[in-house]
Amino acid sequence: MPNTPIMTVADLHKTYGKAGSKQYEALKGIDFTVNEGEFVGIMGASGSGKTTLLNMLATLDQPTSGEVTIHRQPITHLKGNQLADFRAKEIGFIFQDFNLLETMTAYENIALPLTLQNVAMKRIKPAVENVARQLGIAEFLTNYPNELSGGQKQRVAAARALINQPAMLFGDEPTGALDSSSARELLDLFSKINREQAVSILLVTHDPFSASYCQRILFIKDGRIGQELKRGDLPRKDFYQQILDTLGTFEQ
Amino acid sequence: MLTKLAMTGFKNRWRDYLVLFSGLIMSSAIFYMFEALATNQSFLKENTGIGLVGIIFQFGSVLLTIITLVYIGYANSFLLSMRKRDYGLFMLVGARKGKIGQLIWLETLLVGIVATLAGILFGTLLTMGISQLLISSLGLTLHHLAAWYFPAALKTLLLYVGLFLLAGLFNLIALTKTPALKLLHSNDQPNRPQLKPVWQGIQIIGGTLLIAVGYWSMANLDKLQMLGIAIALVTIVMGTYFLFNAIFVGLIVWLKHFAIAHRGLNNFTLSQLSFRIHNYTKILSIVALLFALALGAITTGMGFHRQVPMMANASNAYDLALVNPTKTEQNQIKALKPKTQTNYHFKVAKKAVYYQASEFNTHPFTTLNMHGKNQLAFKAVTNSAKQLQKSQYSYQLGQLQTNGNQMKAAVFLTPSAYQKLAQPEKTLTVFATKDVTANLPAIKRLVKTAAKHDASYKVATNLGGRYGAYLQINSMYSGLQFMGFFLGVAFLAMLASCLMFKILSGAAADQHRYQMLDKLGTTQRQLTGAIRKEIAVLFILPGIVGVIHVLFGLQMFKFLMVTSPYTGIWLPFLIFAGLYLIYYLITVKIYQRIVLQ
Ligand SMILES: Nc1ncnc2c1ncn2[C@@H]1O[C@H](COP(=O)(O)OP(=O)(O)O)[C@@H](O)[C@H]1O
Ligand SMILES: [Mg+2]
Repeated sequence: MPNTPIMTVADLHKTYGKAGSKQYEALKGIDFTVNEGEFVGIMGASGSGKTTLLNMLATLDQPTSGEVTIHRQPITHLKGNQLADFRAKEIGFIFQDFNLLETMTAYENIALPLTLQNVAMKRIKPAVENVARQLGIAEFLTNYPNELSGGQKQRVAAARALINQPAMLFGDEPTGALDSSSARELLDLFSKINREQAVSILLVTHDPFSASYCQRILFIKDGRIGQELKRGDLPRKDFYQQILDTLGTFEQ
Repeated sequence: MLTKLAMTGFKNRWRDYLVLFSGLIMSSAIFYMFEALATNQSFLKENTGIGLVGIIFQFGSVLLTIITLVYIGYANSFLLSMRKRDYGLFMLVGARKGKIGQLIWLETLLVGIVATLAGILFGTLLTMGISQLLISSLGLTLHHLAAWYFPAALKTLLLYVGLFLLAGLFNLIALTKTPALKLLHSNDQPNRPQLKPVWQGIQIIGGTLLIAVGYWSMANLDKLQMLGIAIALVTIVMGTYFLFNAIFVGLIVWLKHFAIAHRGLNNFTLSQLSFRIHNYTKILSIVALLFALALGAITTGMGFHRQVPMMANASNAYDLALVNPTKTEQNQIKALKPKTQTNYHFKVAKKAVYYQASEFNTHPFTTLNMHGKNQLAFKAVTNSAKQLQKSQYSYQLGQLQTNGNQMKAAVFLTPSAYQKLAQPEKTLTVFATKDVTANLPAIKRLVKTAAKHDASYKVATNLGGRYGAYLQINSMYSGLQFMGFFLGVAFLAMLASCLMFKILSGAAADQHRYQMLDKLGTTQRQLTGAIRKEIAVLFILPGIVGVIHVLFGLQMFKFLMVTSPYTGIWLPFLIFAGLYLIYYLITVKIYQRIVLQ
C-alpha cells in the first residue's frame, strides 16, 4: 500500500519558556507526512530544532500547538497509561547515546518492551532471538552493555526498538557516537529492515552520509522546513552528492 | 587555578554534597549522642547501679565506632565517585598528580571536619531534645545528665577527623594511581551476579555457625560476662554479612528462573538489586544490626518501664499508710475512693509496735504472698492477728508503720495488755485504691499535705506501700528505661541515615534509567511499583534478620529483669514496625520524587 500516510504532522509549533519569561520559538509551524514503509530523513544544522521536532513526534514532549497523527491516532494529547501503551506498542526509538540499561544484559534490554506488556516468557525468547539474528547480535545476548562496542550497543538498542514491530521507528542521530564503519553497518541494517519488514523510519541527522540512506529528506532551518529532497531511483553515492550541494545553498 | 576548578565542581554538585553532608552530620550527631551517655561515668553510676551497664555501653561504643568506620568508608566512596570524573578531567588537561593529590586530601578533610563540627552541635541539641521528651513523657528522674559533655565531643571529633585522614589518604592513592581515562568512565561498571556454589556454601555454613556462636554467648552472658558481649558482637556482625553475601546473590539468580520475574518490571528490579549487590550486602548487614540494636533497646526500655508498676503492685497490698491523718487528709483519702481502708490503733515502744489483736481479727490485714520463682507472682492472703504473727510476710505491715518504725516488730496484744501500755495511742490508716499508678498525682498531693505535719513523709524510702515502692523502683529503673529508649531512638536514626544514604546516593544514577523506562512505554504505576518493590526488599531483608537477632539477643536481659524479657514483646515490636513502615513510606516518596520528578 504505497502512499498511505502512517504519520501526519500539521502546523506544529513549539515555544520553550513560560509566558512572561524569556521565550524561544524552536518550531515555527511544521507540516509533512510520512507514508507507510517510507524512510525519511530530517536534516539541519545544530540548533535548528531537529531534536525538538523528533521529541514531539515520538511523544516525548508536548507541542505548543499543532497535531501529530500516527497510525490514524492523534498523539499530542495522550496521557498516562494511554501514552505508555502507545509508546510500548506503536513506536520505537534509537538515540545517539544508546539509552541501554546498563544493569541488564543485552537479552534483557531487548526483551524489556515485551516484559512490560506481560508477554509470556516462552513467546519472548523466540522473538528476541529472531530480532537479534536479523541485527547480527545473537552471540552477544548475554553481555552487559559495557561489554559491547558502540556499534553493538546501538544494534541492541535497535533490536529493542524493533521487537514490538512498531508502526514507526525514530532515530535521533543514532550514528552520532559511532565510528564510520559501525555507522555504515547500522545504516545498512536500517535500510534492510525498512525494505524487508516495511517499517517506516524517521531519521534525524546532521550528517549527509547518514542522510543519503533515506528515500526523502526534509531540511529544517530556524524551526521551519525549508526544502525537500527525493532520492527516487538515484544511486546512493549520487544522492549523497546532491545532499551536499543542497546543504551548500541551504545553509547560507 | 586548579583550586578554582575544584570549587566549581563543588558548586555544580551542591545537591550531592547536601546528601553527603546531611548523612555525615546525622552520623556524627548520633555518635556524639551515644558517647555523651557512654562516657559520662557519673551519669551511668548514678542512674543504673548495675555495673554491667557501663561495660555494655563501652561495647556499644566500640560497635558504633565500627559502624561509623563502615559508614565513613561508604560516604567516602560516594565522595570519590562524585569527584572521579572531575579529577579525571583535570588530569586530561594536564594537572600535576601532586597538585591533584593535595586537592583531594584537602577536600576530604574539609568535608569531614565541617560535617563533624556541625554534627556535634546537632548532637547536643538532639540529646537535649530527646532527653527532655523522654523524661517528661515517661516520668523519669535522672541525675547528672548533660547534653553538652566535652569528653564525648572530643572523642567524636578525634574519631571522625582520624577516619577522614585515612579516607583522604585512601582517595589520594585510589585517584592518583588510576589512569585518567578509567576515572572518566568509572561509573558504568556492572556487577555480574555470579554463582560460586562452593564459596557460597562455605559462606552460608560459616555465617550460620558464627551467628549460632553469637546467640549462644548472649544466652550465657552470666557465665561469660564481658567476653560474651565481645564474642556476640564480632560473630553476629560477621555472620550476618556472610549470610547476606551468600544468600542475596543466590536469591536473585534463583528468582530470575521464575516466570513471574519476567513480568512487568520485576526483572528490571532484580537487575537493579544485583547491579549494586556488593554495596547492598554491606549496608544490609549494618542495617540488620542497627535494626536489632534499636528494637532491642526499645524493647528492653519498655520492659523496664512496664515492670515498675508491676513490681510496685507486688510489693504490698496497700497503697499508703498514714499515722493520725488529719480531717483534710481523710477527705483526700475518701476522694480517692479506696477499695479498702482500715484503721489500726497502735502504741510504739523502743523495739516494737503494739497492736490490738482484736482489731486484726475483725479487720484482717492483707499480705501478698509470693509463690513460684517469679517475684511478681503473688496471692493476696487475709490474716488474722495470729496468722500475721506467724506469717513470713508480716514485714509488709512493718513497711507501712512509717516514721522510722519500719524495722520494729509488730506485736498483737489482748485488750488488757494493750491498755496497760503507757505510750500514747496513735491511728494507722491503711488504704488501697483500684490502681495506684492511675492515682499517682492525687496520692502525691495527699503525701504533700501529710508532710506538713510530719517531715518524714518527704522521703520516698519512709513511705510504705505501693506508692513508696513505685517511687523507689521508678527512680532505680529510670536510668535503664531512659537508656533503652534513648539508644533505641539513636540506633533507629542511625539506621535511617544509613539506608537514606544508600538509597539517595543511588537515586541520581537511577534517574536516567527510570527516564529510559518511561520512554519505552512504562506506565507510571509500573514505575512506582518497581520503586516500591526495590526499596521494600532493602527494608524487609534486614528487618527479618534484625527481628531474629533481637529475639535471641533478649536472652542477655534475663538476669537484669524480674519478668521474662519476652513478656509483652508485641508492643515494642508493633511500635517499631509502625516506625519502620513510616520510614519506608518516606523513603519511597523521596526516592520517587528524585527519580520520577
Ligand atoms: N528545553 C529547552 N528549553 C529551551 N530551549 C531549548 C530547549 N531544548 C532546545 N532548546 C533550543 O531549541 C533550539 C533547537 O534545539 P534542538 O532541537 O536540540 O536542535 P538540534 O537537535 O537541531 O541541534 C536550540 O536553539 C535550543 O537552544
Ligand atoms: Mg539534536
